[in-house]
Amino acid sequence: MAAEGGGNGLALYALRRAVNAVPLILGVVIVNFVLIALAPGDPVMSLIGEYPAPPEYVERVRQDFGLDKSIPERLWLYLVNVAQGDLGFSFANRQPVLDLLLQRLGRTLILMLSTVVVASTIGLFLGVIAARKPGSLTDRGATGFALIGYAVPEFWLGQILILVFAVLLGWLPAGGFRSVRIEYTGLAAALDMFKHMLLPMAALSFRYMAITTRLTRASLLEVMSAQYIVAARGRGLSENTILWRHALRAAALPVVTVIGYNFGFIVAGSALVETVFGWPGIGRLMYDSIYTRDYPVLLGILLFVSVTVIIVNLITDAFYAVLDPRVRY
Amino acid sequence: MIDSSQGDTAPLRASSLVKGRFQMTWSTVKRALFVFAALLLAVPAAAQETPVKGGTAIVILGSDPEHLNVGISTSYPTAAVGANIYSGLVRSRADGRPEGDLASSWTVSDDNLTYTFTLRQANFHDGTPVTSADVVYSMLQIEAPNHGRFKTAYDQIASIEAPDAQTVVITLKAPYAPLLSLLTVFDAPVLPKHVFEGTDPLTNPANDAPIGSGPFKFANWVRGERVEIVRNDDYFLEEALLDKIIFRIVPQDVARSTAIEVGEADLLWGFYMPPADLPRLESDPNVNTWTGITIPALYFVFINTNTPGLDDARVRQAIMYAVDREQVVDQAQGGLGQAGSGPFGGGFAYAYDESTDFRTRYPYDPEKAKALLAEAGVSGLQLRFVYDSARGAFAAAGDIMRDQLRQVGIDLVLQPAERAVMVDRVYSGDYDLTMQSFTSGGDPTIGYHRIYRSAAPGTPFVNATGYSNPDIDAWLDQAGGLADQDARAEYYGKINEVLANDVPVMVMFDELASEASSGNLRGMRTLLDQRDGLEFLWFAPR
Repeated sequence: MAAEGGGNGLALYALRRAVNAVPLILGVVIVNFVLIALAPGDPVMSLIGEYPAPPEYVERVRQDFGLDKSIPERLWLYLVNVAQGDLGFSFANRQPVLDLLLQRLGRTLILMLSTVVVASTIGLFLGVIAARKPGSLTDRGATGFALIGYAVPEFWLGQILILVFAVLLGWLPAGGFRSVRIEYTGLAAALDMFKHMLLPMAALSFRYMAITTRLTRASLLEVMSAQYIVAARGRGLSENTILWRHALRAAALPVVTVIGYNFGFIVAGSALVETVFGWPGIGRLMYDSIYTRDYPVLLGILLFVSVTVIIVNLITDAFYAVLDPRVRY
Repeated sequence: MIDSSQGDTAPLRASSLVKGRFQMTWSTVKRALFVFAALLLAVPAAAQETPVKGGTAIVILGSDPEHLNVGISTSYPTAAVGANIYSGLVRSRADGRPEGDLASSWTVSDDNLTYTFTLRQANFHDGTPVTSADVVYSMLQIEAPNHGRFKTAYDQIASIEAPDAQTVVITLKAPYAPLLSLLTVFDAPVLPKHVFEGTDPLTNPANDAPIGSGPFKFANWVRGERVEIVRNDDYFLEEALLDKIIFRIVPQDVARSTAIEVGEADLLWGFYMPPADLPRLESDPNVNTWTGITIPALYFVFINTNTPGLDDARVRQAIMYAVDREQVVDQAQGGLGQAGSGPFGGGFAYAYDESTDFRTRYPYDPEKAKALLAEAGVSGLQLRFVYDSARGAFAAAGDIMRDQLRQVGIDLVLQPAERAVMVDRVYSGDYDLTMQSFTSGGDPTIGYHRIYRSAAPGTPFVNATGYSNPDIDAWLDQAGGLADQDARAEYYGKINEVLANDVPVMVMFDELASEASSGNLRGMRTLLDQRDGLEFLWFAPR
């Protein structure tokens, strides 16, 4: 494997990883299914609404949605359906789960991807300037900022951002993903959406920015004491060149790992942030579905999250080869 | 025959709230002064205003409707949108008086068993005329099997028939007072037979793109974001004033009041209002607020009579004395309520009884509570208070009750649970005290009788106290069957007397409804349910 190198090896590696992912996803689906099925709370009660329904009616609704069958039976049916690309039917929304997910996927992806890009870029930058002169004022500022970012919960930050930027200053909209009063088209619509995205993105980014800052700093400090850096200094390279061209590249490996690893957490964070900002994405769908015990939708979302994490991990691994010439697949 | 225009169902109002003797708290005084001042200011201004056509209003919903078919669900957001797309046979004015919706008139037979409705000339939004066949089909095929509330009415109905295209005859098994209030768009909407016939009403695509005959037509739905409805220019009653209404979905409660504050929405109903934010909205010059009673809603605490200790009426009475319900209203409900006056609250004059008023019968008196507990020989009682963790008012009431019960030696353990779990626990009897809220439409029969009627364990949203009294059951049935309110009052008097002594339920308060709206929005609350009658909304020119 090490000797082959080149794109062919990477493709083979990716294929092998994809095949390995199948039992992993299957395991995730089964565990999720059983956990949700065992959780207390009856979805039929949410379906009927707050009214004393007669038992025969409750039983009929239970049958309509296949909830009268045993857990192993339901699990088997679910697996067979998923294998055929059918994620089931949402009790609460009375719509196929796949349709629901697809409607919302784009909105969550755009929020997640911009969060990852913004949080990583700013986090890397802050980490580098902090590591440049450990103990300096910039270092302390950046680490202090990271510490706060680490501690602040997303939903609280979101509300504070709304209070400041929407209520007090009136600069940005308080929620939603586009203006409701005016309907924009074309470029104006994109700009309108961007304005709506700024606050949720900021709320969601803060924590990951902090994580990236701390990790970049720690990783850089470790690399900066390595022998080849000492050698580079000895050859008379400027401190900036050493930092940005040599040290950062080596220090980036663990950072990339964590950025990939964080992806899953960003989906979880989006459940809170999307709820605070009324952003109709997957995260909010998850929140609503837990409340209504909408099993098929929850399972669909969890499946989506696990597949995303697996794909992102694969991309992360591929990145290693780009960053570190010694890594070959 | 009695002509409907004489109004055989008298206005169902909350007059007893004012009539009954009750201590005014400072917040009530402030609110009363505020309302008085607002009236002084508002009356001359309103007198000059004439309704203007046009414009778009943004109305807040707290969660996405599941679908828009009011005929198969009692869900709040579904009805909020659907009530303005569909029509019922009758509708209720803001004072509770029934008036014709699709029915131009109706007559009631002398034995109170046969109701005969004459339909107006009306069309569905697809151009098809509305006929009696649609009414009969909707009630029998769609609502009776699928709509929780209509089903309880249907149990009292012997037949629903259509002798000709414009006439519907409903025959009852026995006189049933609340029939008319269960024939509104919320319980018995008229759905198009030609769209639903031969399909499964639960999965018909028209549930997501409804075709009704109401003042607005369905236009667009982006799940999780908005539902849009537009004016129906072919409406059989007075046409809507607004061009369009956008229901905007704002799941987080604080974000809802913010949306009103920053002008991103025009109307927020009490159901979705965070009570803590109301004072802030009241002080905002660009926002109009209102509080009062629309549809009675009762907040109460079930006392599990199967719990050792709580099986003794004296212990339950002690709890009544130990909990300061005025304080709960002020602190847990932001003052938006009237401390509980009796088993059926103060919303229905004939079901309220001054002689057993809980506020005078059970004033806050911890010493008396201690004495009763000692008399019952109960000490060191530990009780679990199970409640829906999403309901802020329940949690706050729990905190207050814990402090107050501690003073009489009862240890209250707060057990918040997610709604689905709470429902499981409470209605299977796995609790000691629990707070709940029920609404009752235009008649106590609809929502409140179930709180006291004997019930099998395991049935959700009925009496979960384990209290069972054949006398009460019989009197409830009799009170529910009579149309004459004085005769009903007699039965409710007996019921109140017994329940005031047995107290299986601690009635906490009657909820006051609230509303916040853009400063220039007009025409709210023309009909009884805040969600209904959005065709009367209009914007005053700024």
